[in-house]
Amino acid sequence: ILCLTSLICSQEIGSPGEPQNLKCIMHNLHKMICTWDVSSKGRYGQTDFCYATSDLLPPVCIKTREKRVEIPVSESSFTVIITTNSIYGAAFATKKFVIHKKDISFIPLAPHILSLTPDFSTSTLNLKWSDNGSVFPYGLDAFWQIEILRKETMEKVTQVIYHSKLTHENIILSWNWTSDMPLECTSHYAKIRSYINITDFVGHKDWSDWSPVEKVPGKDTEPNGSGVFPQDTVVAVGSDVTICCIHEEGQQIQQMTYGSEIYPLIHLSSRSSAIRVVNASASDASGTNVVCTLSQDWMDGTVLFVGYAPDTPQNLSCETSNFLIIKCTWKPGKPSGLYGKRRTKYSLLERISGKNISCEVNEMSRERVCGFPVLADQKTYSFTLGVSNPVGQAESSLLVDLTQRVHPKTPEKLIASGNSSTDVHLHWYINGSFTEIWLLCQIEISSGHSEQKLQNVSMAGGKFSTYTAQLNSLHPYTKYQFKVRCSAAEHFWRWSDWSRAEEYTTLEAQPARGPDVWRERSPSGRSLKIFWKPLSLSEANGKIVSHEVSCYLLDTPLEYKEVTEPSHSTEIKLGKNDCVISVVAKNHAGSSPPTKIMSVELPSDDVRTEHAVALGNGIYISWTSYPNVTCGYIVKWCHSSGAEHCSVDWEKFLSNTTDAVIKSVLFRPGVRYNFSLYGCKSSGYQLLKNITGYMKELPPKRAPNFTVEETSSDSILVKWEDIPIEDCQGFLEGYRLSFAKGEKDALKSRLSESGNPELKVKNITDLTKKSLRILDLQGKTSYQLDLQAYTAGGMSPANSLYVVTKED
Amino acid sequence: CRSNVYEQTRKQVALLNATAQDLFSLYLKCQGEPFSSETDKLCSPNGFFFPDFHENRTSEKEVMVAMYKLFAFLNASLGNITRDQEELNPTAKELLDRLHNTTKTTQGLISNLTCLLCKNYNIFQVDVRYGPNSKGKRAFKKKQQGCQVLRKYVQVISHAARIL
Repeated sequence: ILCLTSLICSQEIGSPGEPQNLKCIMHNLHKMICTWDVSSKGRYGQTDFCYATSDLLPPVCIKTREKRVEIPVSESSFTVIITTNSIYGAAFATKKFVIHKKDISFIPLAPHILSLTPDFSTSTLNLKWSDNGSVFPYGLDAFWQIEILRKETMEKVTQVIYHSKLTHENIILSWNWTSDMPLECTSHYAKIRSYINITDFVGHKDWSDWSPVEKVPGKDTEPNGSGVFPQDTVVAVGSDVTICCIHEEGQQIQQMTYGSEIYPLIHLSSRSSAIRVVNASASDASGTNVVCTLSQDWMDGTVLFVGYAPDTPQNLSCETSNFLIIKCTWKPGKPSGLYGKRRTKYSLLERISGKNISCEVNEMSRERVCGFPVLADQKTYSFTLGVSNPVGQAESSLLVDLTQRVHPKTPEKLIASGNSSTDVHLHWYINGSFTEIWLLCQIEISSGHSEQKLQNVSMAGGKFSTYTAQLNSLHPYTKYQFKVRCSAAEHFWRWSDWSRAEEYTTLEAQPARGPDVWRERSPSGRSLKIFWKPLSLSEANGKIVSHEVSCYLLDTPLEYKEVTEPSHSTEIKLGKNDCVISVVAKNHAGSSPPTKIMSVELPSDDVRTEHAVALGNGIYISWTSYPNVTCGYIVKWCHSSGAEHCSVDWEKFLSNTTDAVIKSVLFRPGVRYNFSLYGCKSSGYQLLKNITGYMKELPPKRAPNFTVEETSSDSILVKWEDIPIEDCQGFLEGYRLSFAKGEKDALKSRLSESGNPELKVKNITDLTKKSLRILDLQGKTSYQLDLQAYTAGGMSPANSLYVVTKED
Repeated sequence: CRSNVYEQTRKQVALLNATAQDLFSLYLKCQGEPFSSETDKLCSPNGFFFPDFHENRTSEKEVMVAMYKLFAFLNASLGNITRDQEELNPTAKELLDRLHNTTKTTQGLISNLTCLLCKNYNIFQVDVRYGPNSKGKRAFKKKQQGCQVLRKYVQVISHAARIL
């Protein structure tokens, strides 16, 4: 029984010196470390440790003074006999143990940290250690528990489990941790332990011991480590930030402010305190100041820059103006709020060539532009615009076929030349190399007296070339303005800007037609006044310098005159014979075709004078069709009346016309115009009728003068004069005589009252009548008389008389 | 020297005096709090060098030399401050304009004083002590150093204006 009980491997209280509590632990899969203790303390000699993995094999024995041996790992259960010897070497106590596989524990050796490296700029710790994987088979799962501790009190900050696979090689593993507090603020520590999952191991598996702690000292442990940290850091809006103030021993922090706000202090050590800003809002361009005020008003600080990550660039567009540089533009989106060293940086990557360039961008301008060189033999470009700042990055991509993104530069040095009155050559220069494409150029043609026109012309692109175009069918002697813009012909993208305008005046040409001519025979018939209207600009084709007036009898010139501008009339003596007048307009390029007009004035019979009617802003004249009027009608009038010099004007109509509305900008309301209607017959001109009219009738300027011829006890005879035509301002239609009892001025108030029974009115429509007797009056009574004339335009002012009838 | 160089110098100093306080106030505003509310503590001149300009100098020559030292120092300091503010406050157009204008006037003053010292006193060289270069310093120190310079400048330029 004693022998049996000695086989049990468990904690037992046995006889003195008896080995007990045998434990075997593996740290790797090759060796085991077995340890035991003895039941009571005492002085013993060496211990014999014998183990046998099989009954067939002799046991292996190891002598040791320690209670620990290292033996190879057994694939199966094994038996251990431990004999404690006395100091004299005799066996003192023996115990037999059977160790089953499940009794063996596997605990990896504690890992060692190779390095714990701080990056103060990013508040990051980098931990490196070796996985010692060479002692393990390939593919085992390893778990690493890492603890980060902080402050002198070594408070646990975080604990993470990191997983890796063992590869039967010693691999150096690396792990990063970013602190929520600057590493300068206080000391940080790291330790690590491991757990390896040996899948077919039936014994107990456990975590290794912790590694020795590695330390990254804070500046609060350094003699001259004072300051506020972090320095000049950039964080994203909404971040939580910890800022600390490190001072000398013995000093005290009075307060810490973030901007203008005082924040509660977080104690870190005897030399270090911190504040925590939660959800930081965007700072001004120069950042938000964090100030630490110590006793004796000593102040130090740092600046925190809080901004936004760059927006994804919008509307990325790339084009070329000259096939030398590709200009990419984009909209930047919301400002980041970060400037200077912290500003957004831009890069343009072209994926096909692999070329990557940095872009210099003016943050203050609204447009973002970056130039990329055109690459030889590359038509298609795959651009990725990368934008980054300290808090983030973004990108935008674009694929372009450069021949479809041509925006030529503004055409320069536009020159117009020519030696023709209707054609012009245009030349212009475009800076750029367009040999790959055809250009479509548009020419804008403007002149003072016609609508703007556009003319398109296509041409092969050249290399820094001058391009030409010819314009035809222009007007002679006309000042034109030309502008040019160009685009790609086949794949239109954008027009260039218009060139600056080039002015050019075409040469003169002969006047297009002869002038409009009229003639007036003198009352004696011996001379003829010839009038002509100046040709319009489009007919003159140049500057008219003179008119040639000739009087031909058959083909023989009887008289010739050259009348220089600005005269538009002349007088010729007729002599015995009538003639055909020829008038030709001349400019420096030549003469117009002649306008011919007969001098013959055919006798007129029964020429009547009619009234014309105002119509719109003209005067309506009508006539019946006259026989033998084969070459049209002419209406002639003067723009002046009375004795003034007659400024003759006329209008011609075809033979089939029987009415017209005569309009002139010179017509004035209230002015009577006298029109003469002539018919053109094969043998000459005949006055057909006279017409007078007004373009608009007005009331007469004044009332007729009138007098009292006779008075009796019951009547008054009044007489009036005609109003001069120039004062009529219209066709007189009648007179209005109003009268009533009353003294001077009494009538005016009565006339303005409607329905006054005292007021009497006599309307005289017979214009031949120049007098009127007023009857049924009272004797020895004062009467006021008002006389007015009226036209279709209204009533003239009144003339007034006061009469007292005779006594009965 | 031009005939009116002394008068021009006097006017330049008067101009700087008239604009100094506004420049300083705008500078404080652009640095952010608590530069405006804690100016005296943050911008105190303790341990900070600025050329003296005492009003009890005995001779005109001493005054001219002191002024030369002052404006040479100021020109260099304004160069530092302007460079720093172009980086920290690139959108503060008015502040940058004022700094540029003050610098221009200061440079004009240096030119006039150089001429006066040479012509009137045969002085061709003046030893000038400059302040520390703020290049490479952290942002807070740049703001603080500029504040210290400008605060002292406001005081000293009024002395100079009074003497002239």
